[in-house]
Amino acid sequence: MPETVSPADASKFTVLVADDNDVAQRLCKRVLEKAGYNVIVAMDGLQAVDVALSQRPSMILMDVAMPGIDGLEAMRRIKAEIPAMPIVIASAHSMASDTDRFLAAGADKVLSKPFRLADLVAIVGQLAADKK
Amino acid sequence: MAASTLWNLRTFHPARGGEVTGVSPGTLPLAARPWWTKSLVRRATPFAAIAAVFAVQAAAGAGPVLAFPLYLTIILLTALQLSRLESLETAVLSAIALIIPTLVKGDPPGDVATAMLLALVLMVASLATTAVVLQVRQKAAIAQRRADEIAASEERMRMMLEAAMVGLALIGDDGKWQQVNDRLAVILRRNRDELPNLTLEEVTAETDRPALAEALALLRGGDIVRWEGELTQLRGDGTRVPVSLVISAAPGRASGESLLLVQETDISARKRLDGLRDCLVAIRHVIVSGFTWEQAVPQVLGSLCSYLGWDLAQFWAADHDRQALRVRHIWHREPAGFEAFREESQATSTPMGVGILGRVWQSGVVAAVEDLSHVNDYSRSEIAQAAGLNSILAFPVVDSGVVIGVIEVLAAHVRGIQDDEVTMLSTVGVEIGQFIRRSDITQALRRSEADHRAIFERSPIGIVRISSDGELVESNPAVLSMLEYDFVALRGNAWPDLLRAYDQAAARQQLAPLLAGIPSASSVQIRAATASGKWLWLQLTATSIPDSTGRPEHVLVMIEDVTTVRETSDQLAEALESQRNANANLEKLDHTKTEFLSIVSHEFRTALTGIQGFSELIRDGGLETEEVRAYGGYIFNDADRINRLIGDMLDLDRMESGRMSMRSGDVDINEVLSEAITRSSTSVASVDFESDLDPRLPIVAGDRDRLIQVVSNLVNNAVKYSPDGGKVTLSTRTEDGFALISVADTGLGIPPDEIGHVFERFRRVRSGAAQSIPGTGLGLTIVKQIVEMHGGKIWVESAVGHGSAFHFTIPLAAEDSPLQRRHA
Repeated sequence: MPETVSPADASKFTVLVADDNDVAQRLCKRVLEKAGYNVIVAMDGLQAVDVALSQRPSMILMDVAMPGIDGLEAMRRIKAEIPAMPIVIASAHSMASDTDRFLAAGADKVLSKPFRLADLVAIVGQLAADKK
Repeated sequence: MAASTLWNLRTFHPARGGEVTGVSPGTLPLAARPWWTKSLVRRATPFAAIAAVFAVQAAAGAGPVLAFPLYLTIILLTALQLSRLESLETAVLSAIALIIPTLVKGDPPGDVATAMLLALVLMVASLATTAVVLQVRQKAAIAQRRADEIAASEERMRMMLEAAMVGLALIGDDGKWQQVNDRLAVILRRNRDELPNLTLEEVTAETDRPALAEALALLRGGDIVRWEGELTQLRGDGTRVPVSLVISAAPGRASGESLLLVQETDISARKRLDGLRDCLVAIRHVIVSGFTWEQAVPQVLGSLCSYLGWDLAQFWAADHDRQALRVRHIWHREPAGFEAFREESQATSTPMGVGILGRVWQSGVVAAVEDLSHVNDYSRSEIAQAAGLNSILAFPVVDSGVVIGVIEVLAAHVRGIQDDEVTMLSTVGVEIGQFIRRSDITQALRRSEADHRAIFERSPIGIVRISSDGELVESNPAVLSMLEYDFVALRGNAWPDLLRAYDQAAARQQLAPLLAGIPSASSVQIRAATASGKWLWLQLTATSIPDSTGRPEHVLVMIEDVTTVRETSDQLAEALESQRNANANLEKLDHTKTEFLSIVSHEFRTALTGIQGFSELIRDGGLETEEVRAYGGYIFNDADRINRLIGDMLDLDRMESGRMSMRSGDVDINEVLSEAITRSSTSVASVDFESDLDPRLPIVAGDRDRLIQVVSNLVNNAVKYSPDGGKVTLSTRTEDGFALISVADTGLGIPPDEIGHVFERFRRVRSGAAQSIPGTGLGLTIVKQIVEMHGGKIWVESAVGHGSAFHFTIPLAAEDSPLQRRHA
């Protein structure tokens, strides 16, 4: 298993990628790092909450279907602590009703899997621009 | 004869009418007469005569002797008339008169003596004569008195006969009337002169003639001397009169002819009154004892005819709409030729106010015609007369002042109609009217009662009536057949139990007990046994029936056998429940399907995320060779995963829809397991494999490829969920005709809340360390399908942290299979 937690580079916009799927995790990490963002990862919901609270990433890219607590529960817990934390739900549950469900649960953006790489970069880029 | 002559003499001397005083009773008394005039004349007359004789004697100078006969004559004449005293007085005075001239003249004593003698003779003669005359006269008076008495008696007798209320007559041997009195002529309404030409039998009604003839024969034969009877006689005007007849033998005449004395009394008045009274009594009796007018009407009409002497009676009833009268009932004497009249009557409908009947209907007043030949407003007049019907009377039948019908009576002869009969029939009409209404009401009541009784008797619903103290009073047949009891057994044995059961059931429903007074019908259902021990569900609906004071008098309980209903409803409830379950299953299925789609799409998209993302990276270029190779590997894995997913889904669908073909053959399970171990051992290094195979395990019947799929799937799962250094054990043994195969691991184990779902689609244990274990989520579902298609079962035992053991059974092959023999 590659290094799952890397110390955040304070100077950079840091994205926490929470996804139990190894392939998806690798893809996001590769694309976002190439786009110039700092990427940290979590393998499940509980880990995502821990990392988010301890390392305070700039934003979170959160899968939903994860073992333990799912992405939505993790988001609820994180938002309870850090309400302003931007969280993008990236899920293969990509029906219209799912998107509404995620937004209602508090997601800032929703990214349906599979996604075009440009879309991923655009969403993160927009949030990064908002932060500045 | 002498008496009669004297009587005759007397009658010719009206001046002496006073003399008949003693003879003729009833004449004025003597004292009433002016006695002094006649008496004076009477007394003076003889003396005047004697003085005249003296005067003539003196003038003629004749001697006393010469004058003596004259004196004697005078005295005798006087004596005829006078009483003895007057005669003596006259004689003495005459004698003195004889003597005085002799003495005065101074005649010789011889003359004086002669005169004295003469005077004496004169006195004696007059006395004797007077005595004789008086005697004669006395006898004559007695005879006269007797004759007068006879004459008076005759007169009285004659007056009596003529004035008698009894008709009297004599008939001779020829039967003809000989002497009749006025009364008889009046009774028979015949001329007194006409009767001697008729016989007694000829004036007697035909029907009575034989009896009369027999009586006359007996009387004439001397067998009886007196006969009494009542019979009808024919009057001169054609009417009939009932008479009471007494015939007695009279003493024969000199001619030897035997006479019969006939006494007749007109008893028509009595007969009529008797008839009226008897008729009224008879009709009232019928009315009082009759139930319905229909039953009573023949007797009523019959009574009218037989008691009042009518021959035919008809009851005409007014229509409901009061448009016409129509004949409802006819009664007539038998035998009679009234058919034509009867038919005509039945064909006739009489409007109000038209004809005799119509007028009676309209006016409510009795109408009578004694002789139909004199009327022209009776439509059936000709037919009536042809049938011999001559008199008619019609009276209204009145109910509460409304004429509801007319009764018409007709007589086969001209019949007198009296006021009292009319009055009586008016009364009868009112009484009949009341009776008809009463009978209508009674009939309506009876019908109503009968209807209710029929409802009670024939009701398919059981009905019982119980008294206010719970005693069973009445039960309809439905109850008895339902419970298979007779009434006595029901009342004595079964009813108390039913009552108790009712109260218990009522208590459960917060209803009042049966006897507490049930305000409105309320139902309970109870379980009750019939006499034969069959258990029924009975629905009891009770209602209190109050008496006139409102106090509950008894309770009506309706009993329905609701066993079928109850069982049906139970079945229905079951059916509903199963339907509900089926619906729930369908919903679940629907939900499962949606969930399935959602899961499948999620699985595909998850796999596609890598494929799409990494292929996009490769396409955009600028990658290191190593990176391209790694990314190609990711893409291949996910594509392979998608392929397997599609394969599993298609397999499962084929199995579930029954389209999966199974090749059945002999399979050596031990061999299959050994191969699986060998294959896995070479590819998986982190897990140890053990086998505990029963060497005597018989051959099983099945599809070898599918069984390999089952085993490899279970082994792969065991490997996947086992940590490094874990152990996977495969074992076989024989059990009850099945081969029992187990695949056990020392892996993560399945949490208790998941263990029931492991064979469901996409149910993957993803908690804890299991989360990252790949799989389609369809493997165990397919395994279960294959095992069950072989006729076996699969189940799992597991404990979290200790591992899981999957067991499945496959039926053994038949004994004579080639492999089986080889093993043996």
